[in-house]
Amino acid sequence: MTNAREISVEYLARVEGEGSMRVKVVDDQIEDVEFSIFEPPRFFEAFMRGRPHTEAPDITARICGICPVAYQMSAVHAMEDAFGVTVGGSLRELRRLLYCGEWIESHALHIYLLHAPDFLGYESGVHMAADHREVVEQGLRLKKAGNSIVALVGGREIHPINVRVGGFYRTPTKRELESLVPELEWAKDAAVATIRFVSGFNFPEADMDFEFVSLSHADEYPFNEGRIVSSKGLDLAISEYNNYFVEQHVERSNALHSQIRERGAYHVGPLARYANNFEKLTPFAQEMAFDAGLGTMVANPFKSIVVRAVEVLYAVEESLRIIDGYEQPPEPYVAYRAVEGEGHGATEAPRGLLYHRYRIHDDGRIADAQIVPPTAQNQLTIESDLRFVLERHLHLPDDELSWVLEQSIRNYDPCISCATHFLDLTVERG
Amino acid sequence: MADVVVIGVGNRMMGDDAAGPVVIDRLAGRPPESVALVESVGDATHLLDTWRDARLAVVVDAVVSGGVPGSIHRIDGKGGFPSSWRSASTHLIGVVEAIDLGGAVDMLPDELVVFGIEIGKVEPGVNLSPEVDAAVDEVVEMVFAELSVIGNR
Repeated sequence: MTNAREISVEYLARVEGEGSMRVKVVDDQIEDVEFSIFEPPRFFEAFMRGRPHTEAPDITARICGICPVAYQMSAVHAMEDAFGVTVGGSLRELRRLLYCGEWIESHALHIYLLHAPDFLGYESGVHMAADHREVVEQGLRLKKAGNSIVALVGGREIHPINVRVGGFYRTPTKRELESLVPELEWAKDAAVATIRFVSGFNFPEADMDFEFVSLSHADEYPFNEGRIVSSKGLDLAISEYNNYFVEQHVERSNALHSQIRERGAYHVGPLARYANNFEKLTPFAQEMAFDAGLGTMVANPFKSIVVRAVEVLYAVEESLRIIDGYEQPPEPYVAYRAVEGEGHGATEAPRGLLYHRYRIHDDGRIADAQIVPPTAQNQLTIESDLRFVLERHLHLPDDELSWVLEQSIRNYDPCISCATHFLDLTVERG
Repeated sequence: MADVVVIGVGNRMMGDDAAGPVVIDRLAGRPPESVALVESVGDATHLLDTWRDARLAVVVDAVVSGGVPGSIHRIDGKGGFPSSWRSASTHLIGVVEAIDLGGAVDMLPDELVVFGIEIGKVEPGVNLSPEVDAAVDEVVEMVFAELSVIGNR
């Protein structure tokens, strides 16, 4: 007799985007695990064809409400690569500062309102706020410190509009940037408190054999530039991305699944950046990571919340460093001439590596575009994590099983479509 | 932030999900300058900061609750939401969650009115469907009337 059970949960909370997870279990054997996402970048790639290259930063920024800066940065770096433009000095520092703002706000949101409730046993951040109001308020204030950087440097808090190919439309004065300092000083303490708070959670044993892929830069923890490296020996220029990684269509999903050619799944995001760049963190962030019980590499995806908290501390310290040394540049952008060519850009979105490629016509219009978001790159890894978790929790009743599976998806802070937030979750047993 | 604020929630690149922002476009220039017109992707903390000190906040969002596309809901934001009502905007902590959260941490305006414009499927695109486009025009008038009422108080 077969053991026939079926569970259907209509809406996976606290995950951005539309997608679905289906798990099929027959006689306590896992038959299939599918994690599907709906992916609007395909639309955006098509939409940009024929439009002026100058529009790409603003158009792609709308792919995701949570990480517009990442899309803008990958777009402008790709254009600058195509045109042979180098952005250095204060303009380069401002881009890092803007990116720090996005990491702070995105990580704070995920840590406090989306992920912590999993560990503390609350259905949502709202439910958690009823018992832990100060904690939630601290998270909201920390997020706002990040928002303030994005609003000032990016020109607007939501969908920043101040970024352009070559630099910015307008650069802030030193005095304007200094206005951020008192709150960032507070944020530094809050980030330390955050690391202590989340490192006290109970984490399931789940060390994985990931291939961690991230940018790596000689002198800095990576945001905008560097080589693409992996924990298993890859080391390539950003322009070589398509030689090493391939997106394959999977029948059940609109999305393309990324793989390392002839090797398979890989992992992008905070755990990957941390493993590949630990020594580039500030000494203080390293010390706090050790205090929190982390090694120089973390292979348990459930502990990504602690690594995110360490990255918040790093981003706050890096913001303070940049503001301290800032001198307003004479020109807000580097002048350039658009030429026919192809350019590649990859930057570290809060959720991981975000790759853009553009081919440009001689009149500056976009001939074609390729966008590979971090969640698409993590998709196969998420499926394999789900299988791992499922094997160990098959004995749980369906509602608890669903919860632990949802939790393992949230480890990736997945921006499933960077779009609508419906997600159908189905666990089929039979 | 302003005493009275209108917030249009949505993503202009996601078809009918642009309903909220388009309401803001079509309202522009009509209310007195003291009324802030704000576009939002629905990020909860942005919403909380935008409305927390307001006397009146009017929020317009796309919604999927199984109704006919183009139909309009008007809800007292502090009076609770039907369980079928969930925000269809391009973000993860939506308007409903932001209101719940605002209640928990005392970050709500004195008065909160939410207009929901029922949409069908959310798909990438830069145009509104005819039904939603017509509903947007109607909501613009309803929001304007809402603002006039408080203006006379």
